[in-house]
Amino acid sequence: MNNFALGRYLPLDSVVHKMDPRSKIMIMLFMMISVFVPAGVYGYAIIALFVILALVLSKLSIGYALKAMKPMLFMMGFLFVINLLVIKTGTPLIKIGWFSIYSDAIYQTLYVVVRLLFMVVITTILTATTKPLDLTLGIEKLLKPFEKIGIPAHIIAMMISIALRFIPTLIEETQRIMNAQASRGVDLENGTLKEKISALLSLIVPLFVSAFERADQLANAMEARGYNPNKTRTRYKVLKMQAIDYVAMLISVLVMAACFGIWLYV
Amino acid sequence: MNAIEVSNLTFSYDGQVDVIKDISFSIEKGNYVTIVGHNGSGKSTVAKLLIGLLEAKNGKVVIMGQELNEKNVYDIRSNVGIVFQNPDNQFIGSTVADDIAFGLENHCIPQEDMQTIIEDVASRVNMQDFLNSEPTRLSGGQKQRVAIAGILAMEPDIIIFDESTSMLDPQGKASINRQIQKLHDEKNITILSITHDMEEVAQSEHVIVLNKGRIAMEGSPKDIFKEEKKLKEMKLELPFALEFSKKCKEEGLIKEEVCTLEEVVEQLCQLKSIS
Amino acid sequence: MSIEIHQLEHTYNAGTSFAHAALKGIDLTIPEGKVTAIIGQTGSGKSTLVQHLNGLLIPTAGSLEVCGFHIQPLLKIKDVKKLRKEVGLVFQFPEYQLFEETIEKDIAFGPKNFGVSEQEANALVKKILPLVGLDESFLVRSPFELSGGQKRRVAIAGILILDPKVLVLDEPAAGLDPQGAKEMMSLFMRLNREEGKTVLLVSHDMEHVMKYCDHVIVLDHGKVLHESDVATFFEHPEWMVNIGINPPGIIRLKLELRKKGFTIPDEILDADSLLECIKGQVKNHE
Repeated sequence: MNNFALGRYLPLDSVVHKMDPRSKIMIMLFMMISVFVPAGVYGYAIIALFVILALVLSKLSIGYALKAMKPMLFMMGFLFVINLLVIKTGTPLIKIGWFSIYSDAIYQTLYVVVRLLFMVVITTILTATTKPLDLTLGIEKLLKPFEKIGIPAHIIAMMISIALRFIPTLIEETQRIMNAQASRGVDLENGTLKEKISALLSLIVPLFVSAFERADQLANAMEARGYNPNKTRTRYKVLKMQAIDYVAMLISVLVMAACFGIWLYV
Repeated sequence: MNAIEVSNLTFSYDGQVDVIKDISFSIEKGNYVTIVGHNGSGKSTVAKLLIGLLEAKNGKVVIMGQELNEKNVYDIRSNVGIVFQNPDNQFIGSTVADDIAFGLENHCIPQEDMQTIIEDVASRVNMQDFLNSEPTRLSGGQKQRVAIAGILAMEPDIIIFDESTSMLDPQGKASINRQIQKLHDEKNITILSITHDMEEVAQSEHVIVLNKGRIAMEGSPKDIFKEEKKLKEMKLELPFALEFSKKCKEEGLIKEEVCTLEEVVEQLCQLKSIS
Repeated sequence: MSIEIHQLEHTYNAGTSFAHAALKGIDLTIPEGKVTAIIGQTGSGKSTLVQHLNGLLIPTAGSLEVCGFHIQPLLKIKDVKKLRKEVGLVFQFPEYQLFEETIEKDIAFGPKNFGVSEQEANALVKKILPLVGLDESFLVRSPFELSGGQKRRVAIAGILILDPKVLVLDEPAAGLDPQGAKEMMSLFMRLNREEGKTVLLVSHDMEHVMKYCDHVIVLDHGKVLHESDVATFFEHPEWMVNIGINPPGIIRLKLELRKKGFTIPDEILDADSLLECIKGQVKNHE
């Protein structure tokens, strides 16, 4: 579990780390839109340039970003096989007996893989350079204007930050319960389906029971310290936009515009 | 003036069985009071009633002259801090500084003042070097000290410790007990500690013994510990120092029973220097 | 059969940048039929060590002999699953492992995992309940409506029902009131004295170690710092404080009195003999 690169904060000292989370979230949004604009090879080349620049500036190694792809590999392989079987357009490339591979299958797969690769790398840059709490604070501030139409920005942000805070605790707890049940002979890997279901229940039920107990105690602790979701609060962390934030946002908007331009006019 | 006044408090979780039965007590300002009782005696319920996390069926709670009600519950909470049992489940922020800030944010302390307050209270609990640490990197005792800092930041008149040391290792326990003693020595905070650590009871000024939702005994630790038989009936034990000083008294070595090891040693030393 | 541990090493996440050596060359013999205390600060490797005893963890180097099982690196879970019946491991706050609708089902869960039929398992439950101080009226009740202490008894029954030869207990009295702790400890003592079970007690509570244990192992930073019988361990209290162990009341008193010039021999470990010893030193001159 420790090798998980996706979504993990990496405490380094870089310009990107120091940027305002709001601008980083906005840039991520612009880039995601750009990735989905069908701007062909040129579009992707521009996005790639931007992503590589961001990687270098954030002092992350390309290897690290690629490591984040690991959990996706299976999905990509699966997709590839499905595409090979289903897509029968374009020129046939290889023929093995009755089965032939068409060029479109390869292109389609490559297309999806490249998109996925960009999305994962962009998200990784965001999460690796932004502390989870700053990220939630950024989301909260960005959602603030929508509070008027009934979106409870502060409550959403509080929920996210508490979830993030308790992920390590719950992982530890899961490990402990797994060990305790293994000591009672539970074997998650071997056994019949019925045995496996009962084994899984022996993990999930205690995990839920303790999570609810935690939630209850946490609610008490928050209330005891004067938390009231409907009251205004001051904030300890303040966000400040700097020149680099505006410059970076401008560049990302240009990238997005370029992609749209290529799609619509080229 | 009394910091806490409780009169005829009754509480029931299910509306049928009363877990707190008509209890009344008062705690003087600046006092250090412990509430003891075996598991299930209702002692943690009392803590929750005092800060309005639970609503009493009957009776009233008066905090610093103000009767607790729905309207002033938030004001009262800024004046009464509580440290709970489980160090993990009360650590809300993602770092030490953020967690200390949580209460300040809730009570709308201006952002400009926060950093100074945070640094100040962190150093009072000796956590100033951990301001940016995440909770997973802290020991249970350290997390409890952060909880204390978060409360001190609100400059409360009263701090309640609800079995705050029962999940800690001996070192964590000792560090929290030292911290409580230190807060008490600074005089202006009233301390109410719910515990079954008899060594901690011995260091307090006044003891309330709860049994089956009622106050069974009340008095100074010395007075309480005299009732050995009664305590045993309520599944409570005497601290080691007291047991030993009893033996010394039986042997005619000392005249008066004492509750702490320091006092035992002191008495025996006097005896040695006389002889 | 005692437990023999040879040059046991365990490194978590070996080969990655998160590698962490939790145990570094442990050599130990845990005597059969005795109560052995395992002491150490948080992070000393105690819990890593005990998880090897029932095969939850497999050594990354070295080996151990437990109840006729030889455990060495690269073994598979399948190879050691039966060991879990021989060595019962009770984790800290075991009440968090309860999950069934009734206490009977929950306690019977273990044997069923080892292939015992439901009928036989239920018969075993009836036998084990009185051992942990609960009566048959509990059988049909939900484990979630019990008090904390009772829940823990049910969880411990869920391990005892496997009839393990070795019982490993991680802070079994944590969070209980003094009376509850006492009852819990005397249950384990009975199992040791009457049924000859080997007991390992992981504990911070030196009063318990002094009162209940025969043998003491101290771990520090993944190594064995001390191993002896319990009397020898408490005879040299000065270093205890240095490694962060909070000695029992009697030892603290002894240390304080020594500082004030009393002469107290090492072998004095109980209140009565300490009193005798002091009496001599203050009354002789009267």
